[in-house]
Amino acid sequence: MDFRFNEDQLTLAETVRDYLAGTHGPEVLRRLDAEGARDPSIWNGLVEMGLTGLLVPEAQGGLGMGLVEAALIAAECGRACLAEPLVDTAFVGVPWLLGKGETTELARIAAGEVKLPLPHAINPWVADGVGPALTSVDPLRILSEGSGGEDSKLLDLAALMSAAQLVGLADAMLGQAVEYAKIRTQFGQPIGAFQALKHQLASCSVAIEFAKPVVWRAAAAMEDGLASAPGHVSHAKVAATDAAMLTAETAIQVHGAMGYTYEVDLHFWMKRTWALAGAWGSRAFHLKRVDEAVLGGSLAIGPEHTFA
Amino acid sequence: MDLNYTPEQIAFRAEVRAWLEVHVPKEPLVTLECREGFDQHVEWERTLANGNWGMVTWPEAYGGRGLDLIQWLIFEEEYFRAGGPNRANQNGIFLLGPTIMEFGTDEQKRRFLTPMAKGEVIWAQAWSEPGAGSDMAAISSKAVRDGDHYVITGQKTWSSRAAFADWGFGIFRTDPESKRHKGLTFILFDMNTPGITRRPIRQLHGDTGFAELFFDEVRVPVENCLAGEGQGWNVAMATAGFERGLMLRSPGRFQATAKRLVELYQKHEAQASPAAREAVLQAWMAAQAYAYNTYGVAAKIMAGGKIGAEASLNKIFWSELDRAMHRTAMQLLGAAAELKRFEDGSINPWLEGYIFSLSGPIYAGSNEVQRNITAERLLGLPRIGAG
Repeated sequence: MDFRFNEDQLTLAETVRDYLAGTHGPEVLRRLDAEGARDPSIWNGLVEMGLTGLLVPEAQGGLGMGLVEAALIAAECGRACLAEPLVDTAFVGVPWLLGKGETTELARIAAGEVKLPLPHAINPWVADGVGPALTSVDPLRILSEGSGGEDSKLLDLAALMSAAQLVGLADAMLGQAVEYAKIRTQFGQPIGAFQALKHQLASCSVAIEFAKPVVWRAAAAMEDGLASAPGHVSHAKVAATDAAMLTAETAIQVHGAMGYTYEVDLHFWMKRTWALAGAWGSRAFHLKRVDEAVLGGSLAIGPEHTFA
Repeated sequence: MDLNYTPEQIAFRAEVRAWLEVHVPKEPLVTLECREGFDQHVEWERTLANGNWGMVTWPEAYGGRGLDLIQWLIFEEEYFRAGGPNRANQNGIFLLGPTIMEFGTDEQKRRFLTPMAKGEVIWAQAWSEPGAGSDMAAISSKAVRDGDHYVITGQKTWSSRAAFADWGFGIFRTDPESKRHKGLTFILFDMNTPGITRRPIRQLHGDTGFAELFFDEVRVPVENCLAGEGQGWNVAMATAGFERGLMLRSPGRFQATAKRLVELYQKHEAQASPAAREAVLQAWMAAQAYAYNTYGVAAKIMAGGKIGAEASLNKIFWSELDRAMHRTAMQLLGAAAELKRFEDGSINPWLEGYIFSLSGPIYAGSNEVQRNITAERLLGLPRIGAG
């Protein structure tokens, strides 16, 4: 029993975080917004870092890592508001194919030659697919009409990775609000010195701090193939969505009227949050699955059942 | 990350469960906040000690079992599963004990820890003063050095367990010229020392769990000072860290409440609102989240890490969770919520629990203070009044 990331996992996450902070900052989001939401040079950078092959077995040219590492990196993608479909292709599509025993495309995915749109009945759209375009509130999401089947493993993987991105998004929005609260002065002092703001931001910290371990627990449950994993994934999606929505609303409030402008960066993260909050199962959908587990009795509950 | 218990941990759980099933009182004890209930709870502490379960994480030399924090969590989970009584000595074993372990001399460890683990000496805390509540650095009770003694004069209040405890600990101003966090010293004192008057305070439920303490030239030997004169604030902050961060409220407590809430909901389902149903699910989710987080903190400490200001996040989370769970239960009970005893004569635990839960966001540093600490030390926002 050791509920911690190991040194290698933390180093990997830090490397990805630094890389994205250096290559995928707000100015890049603005350029993509103006010039087109996908940029092969960004994709190629992710491929060179080995991220498209993170979950691809070494035999097919990947790094052979698991869903816990993938969730950790998905959170970094959320933090950077990454636009490229890395999470869908490499952290959802790849383990889904592996689960079905379909390995023929894996080497090409690892090499960055194939992206995997993921149609599913739960969503009335396909992200990064082909077909008549739909317009998302998130200017960096590319959606098209269409929907797919009801594969439950695909749904669980995608909901898990959405939750992971949401905690990263929440972290980033909290950071932006804090930085703004430090520099904006009113009444002769930084607005961040006022308890009215401090307490709202502290509440975001609490929500994020206690959403993260739920996400990591869900990732481990899926990695270990637990029968209870769907309930854990739904718990993670609800907790991460609630933390991210609270933080988004708090962050815009802290920014005041500036937060309502297109000029301030916050809106990119906020819009991604809105999109992922509803994607791959709404809050109501996932709450119902938690309900089935807890009130329906399929999950043992009580103090002795923290991990069982 | 490995979320599987080892065979040794599984065997340990079975051992704890077997002992508790035999020894936990079948009838709930009378509340700890009155003489009769206090005595019952002290008796339970001694039963625990006889089984060598007083404080499992402490070294064997001090009355413990030398177990790690995962085993402690397993013990706590089983303790709350079995419906074990509240710990009369929580101020000692969860707060002062770890503090002595970190700051005490070998002599102090020998003298204080073993009787604490064995339930022979029950401890009260004495932090707050009438003019120093949330603003603890405003403490004015004095301890003046006189040879090999301190002479303490002043007043403490809201002292948990002080109505009945044997010993107390708190911080006192040893440097009369000092201000705020400086010049304070952490001192342990026998509650029966001449010059100490305790006046129990009647709480809103009618019982007396805490008390006011009046010190009138109370002579305390210098060797009862912890970590040296003037170090009081740092030591107190470490104690507060243990209190808020890990030990005081282990997750099993809230998981047990969440489970009982699920059962209560199922009993009242026909009359319950959809909002109540969601609140019940939220209770389970939050209690689980708290447990996961605590396992993470335990793993971090076992790897040599420390609890810092993030302890404040914990304290906010569990205290507000506890209040929300009991509020939901009161809603589910409807008209029966106000009954101190149900029609069958049994105590209404949700009413008692709800009233107690209202103190959670206040004690151990109010949640407003915890949010300030979070904002200033974790998020780096400017201190209050900074220009």
